[in-house]
Amino acid sequence: MTKTPGQVYELIAANVQKVVRGKPQVVRLAVAALFSEGHLLIEDVPGLGKTTLARCLARSIGGTWNRIQFTPDLLPGDITGVQVYHQRDEKFAFHPGSVFANVVLADEINRGTPKTQSALLEVMSEQRVTVDAVRHDVPRPFLVIATQNPIEMAGTYRLPEAQLDRFLMRLRMGYPDRASEVLVVMSDRAGVDPDELEAVVDLPTLQSAITQVRAARIEHAVIDYATSITSSTRHHSEVRYGASPRGTIALVRAAQALAATYGRMFVTVDDIKEVAHPVLDHRLILKPEAELRQRKAEGIVADLLAEIPAPVAVTTVAGA
Amino acid sequence: MTRGHAVWLLLATAVPGLLFAPVFGLWALVAPVVGVVVACYVVFELSLRFPALQPWRPLLALVAGALALVELALFDTTLSGLPTPTSLTRLAAGVTDSWQLTLQSTWPVRPDADLLLFVPLLVLFTALVGIELLRWPAAAVLPSLVLLLVSQSFIAVSGTVATLVALAYAVVVAGLFISPARSAVALTVGLSVVAGVATMAVPTGPAYSVRQNQFAQVPLPREVSPLAEVAARLSDPDTEVFRYTTDAPVDRWRLVVLDGFDGVTWTTSDRYRRLGAEIGPPTGTTVPTTQQSARVTVPGDGRWLPSQAMPTSVDGTVRPFVDQDTGALLLPERGGPVEYELRWREPVGDLTGLADAAVSSDVPTGDLGTVPDKITQLATTATKDARPTLRTALVLEQYLSENYKVATGSELPTGSGWTHLREFLQDTKRGTSEQFAASYVVLARIVGIPARLAVGYRAPREPVDGETVVRNKDVLAWPEVAVEGIGWVPLDPAGTASDAGPAPTKLAEVMAKARAELPPPNEKLPDPPVAAPEPVDEKRSWTGVGMLALWGLAGTLALFVVVLLGIPVTKLVRTARRKRFTGVRGVVGAWWEARDLLGAHGARITPGMTARDLAAVSGGSVVDSLHRLAVHLDTALWSGAGADEGTVMAAWKAVAEIRRTLAGRSIGARIRAVFVIR
Repeated sequence: MTKTPGQVYELIAANVQKVVRGKPQVVRLAVAALFSEGHLLIEDVPGLGKTTLARCLARSIGGTWNRIQFTPDLLPGDITGVQVYHQRDEKFAFHPGSVFANVVLADEINRGTPKTQSALLEVMSEQRVTVDAVRHDVPRPFLVIATQNPIEMAGTYRLPEAQLDRFLMRLRMGYPDRASEVLVVMSDRAGVDPDELEAVVDLPTLQSAITQVRAARIEHAVIDYATSITSSTRHHSEVRYGASPRGTIALVRAAQALAATYGRMFVTVDDIKEVAHPVLDHRLILKPEAELRQRKAEGIVADLLAEIPAPVAVTTVAGA
Repeated sequence: MTRGHAVWLLLATAVPGLLFAPVFGLWALVAPVVGVVVACYVVFELSLRFPALQPWRPLLALVAGALALVELALFDTTLSGLPTPTSLTRLAAGVTDSWQLTLQSTWPVRPDADLLLFVPLLVLFTALVGIELLRWPAAAVLPSLVLLLVSQSFIAVSGTVATLVALAYAVVVAGLFISPARSAVALTVGLSVVAGVATMAVPTGPAYSVRQNQFAQVPLPREVSPLAEVAARLSDPDTEVFRYTTDAPVDRWRLVVLDGFDGVTWTTSDRYRRLGAEIGPPTGTTVPTTQQSARVTVPGDGRWLPSQAMPTSVDGTVRPFVDQDTGALLLPERGGPVEYELRWREPVGDLTGLADAAVSSDVPTGDLGTVPDKITQLATTATKDARPTLRTALVLEQYLSENYKVATGSELPTGSGWTHLREFLQDTKRGTSEQFAASYVVLARIVGIPARLAVGYRAPREPVDGETVVRNKDVLAWPEVAVEGIGWVPLDPAGTASDAGPAPTKLAEVMAKARAELPPPNEKLPDPPVAAPEPVDEKRSWTGVGMLALWGLAGTLALFVVVLLGIPVTKLVRTARRKRFTGVRGVVGAWWEARDLLGAHGARITPGMTARDLAAVSGGSVVDSLHRLAVHLDTALWSGAGADEGTVMAAWKAVAEIRRTLAGRSIGARIRAVFVIR
């Protein structure tokens, strides 16, 4: 019997939360990214469970997964794969890189050189690798979960801002609350290892859920609302470059996936608002003077969400 | 930019437009002003529904407003309701000419479209500019404020009316600043107090009006002055001049009043205005008056029409110009006989004590030119060196009538310059009413009595078949003196103004009595009684800060009463209307009700808020109800399933729970919530 996206989410979330404690919303958004076949950038200080979350998510689906630890000496070929000459057979053979997996964990992506980062970013958008004019498709579903530590700058290469919108969402783990931290410590003492998690969803089920999510109902008024938000970022006085139409598409797709995690097959205004920060914050490039005033993209998106009227399908005199 | 703000803005625009009511009458203005405002709102609504229209909104509003004006005020120029080139021409004239014609007319003006068009056009322009600035409420209100100042520069309201208008305007302006996050009660109270105090801070006294020095450019007739015609008319006594029918007692008819004198020529002022709907009593007249009317037929082609001292209106085909100070009617482009109904005021009531009345101190005595020798001495002798009062004026009248003779026969003296007057006063002592009246005026002015010279006809006492015919022999020039509280009082130094018989009017009767009570010529005049000082009204001695505070308090109290009754009733009506909604709209109505309830209780509402957002900022026991409401709202709006009656009821049930929860708050909080404008 085919499982609904809501049921698939429940299975994955329950599995992941055996290890990742006290972060239900981060888990929900991560699964939403998975459902919308978008890539995830998890950004936060060390020790908050970025890698753990990525590993748990990868373990929970019955596909293949690879972890790439980005370092300055990592080469693009390590990621994409290379053509190797076999003397015995007197021909070249393609040796796939680490990117050929359903879930790829790109750990500390900002430690890799720009060339290497670009190789991964290209695969993320194209979902294929081209070596010596031969195309090699990556397996589907394909999800890249990248992590980076934003506070350590020495020996790192900041991801180009123009490339950041290849990621559907950027999540921040945040510190756990006291009770959750106690649970984390207890889990650690009990020896719960992310690598021991079993897959709870096979690939066909996940693919079916992804297909169903794409068919979730979304009213024109809600699409119009999402468009209003992204177009407002382009006209904001403190924003140099606002979200592109790709951002609008990401916003709608992420909202469809989020609605599915709530067991709904229709998108509401609240879904759009809930995914607005993770989807849009990393897509805005502020003006230097705004940055000098300590303005953050999060604040600008929050202002827009407060100012842009939430639609109601019934049009009548305001305040009636 | 919400519909609510647009409505407040249009109200703020309509209020100053309707403040032209004293000029045109309220009902004449209501239709065009409201029509223009409604047209602007319709365009605003369309631009909201069809965003593609927004760049064209000012142009659309202009066209819609102009169309509304054509239909409401210029329908006679349309062809089956469709505007014609004439309509456009008249509209253009409304922009360029109507305000000027209004300033040149007596007020209230005739409510003709050609005169009042500029008011709705100003409202239209103000409204469309204001709507374009609606994003910034403080800027949006400025055009209406300018219109308010324009209306007040035409005619300033004062006293209680001014305070009420200022309060109304303050309330409307405060409405512009309402937002989901901000109640406007404090702002309304603040603006109202400021408005009330400001209106009281304006110094009392005659207000400035742009109309003060605006008179119609009337080409004065280049023909012989009626004063110079006196002798000629007396020489041809039986020619009919005009005829009239009336039941009212008439003493005399005036053609023209001459108050300028340079020693040679008597001239009339050119302070003529277009005759409006009705003229009020002249300034300075405090005695009660009664309305009289007569139907007048003038066969000739003279430019001056027979009139009375205080005309109020002229009905008929003629549209004469009027000099409000003198009552003279002028028809510069007259081409033949005219017939009209003249209405005028006549002083009535208790005129006892008139003889002791002082001459008016507000009216200048008038010009004299170069006074010949011995004339000043003559004036002093004639008035017994008495102070200028009406009794002194009567003594001067008595002096002329007893010491000078009315000329009769064929050789009648003419002229009223100093040369002729000196000859009349010192040598011949014989003259027509022209010399008597002119001499009286100059002598009165010499002793400080404000006087002027009127020319017209006496009223024959015996009508024939109800119609009185006035002929050349009735021509008369007479002096008038300005008396405190009554205005200009006609005198008769030549003694030819009336036939024998009872005095026709109350004023004439009182004057006849005063003449009879004059002391003999050789006796000195008694000093007029000195008026007792007016008792100081304790209340009126309240000035400055005390008065301002009193009015500020009164304004606040008035507003409080309005708020006390208006806001809760409006909310109840709104809730009842929302409860009548069905389907999806019913669920949305429930959400709006919940939002407004919590907003009234201090929740910070933003336009982008959803029910879940409101739950997040509300806290407490309303959260669950809001979440339930959110589920119903999302299902109704976005699932495609719509909303049946059960869903609507469930949504309103959630609202009822919220209401019950809020009922548990402190009494102070609940009272505040009742009076918050949301």
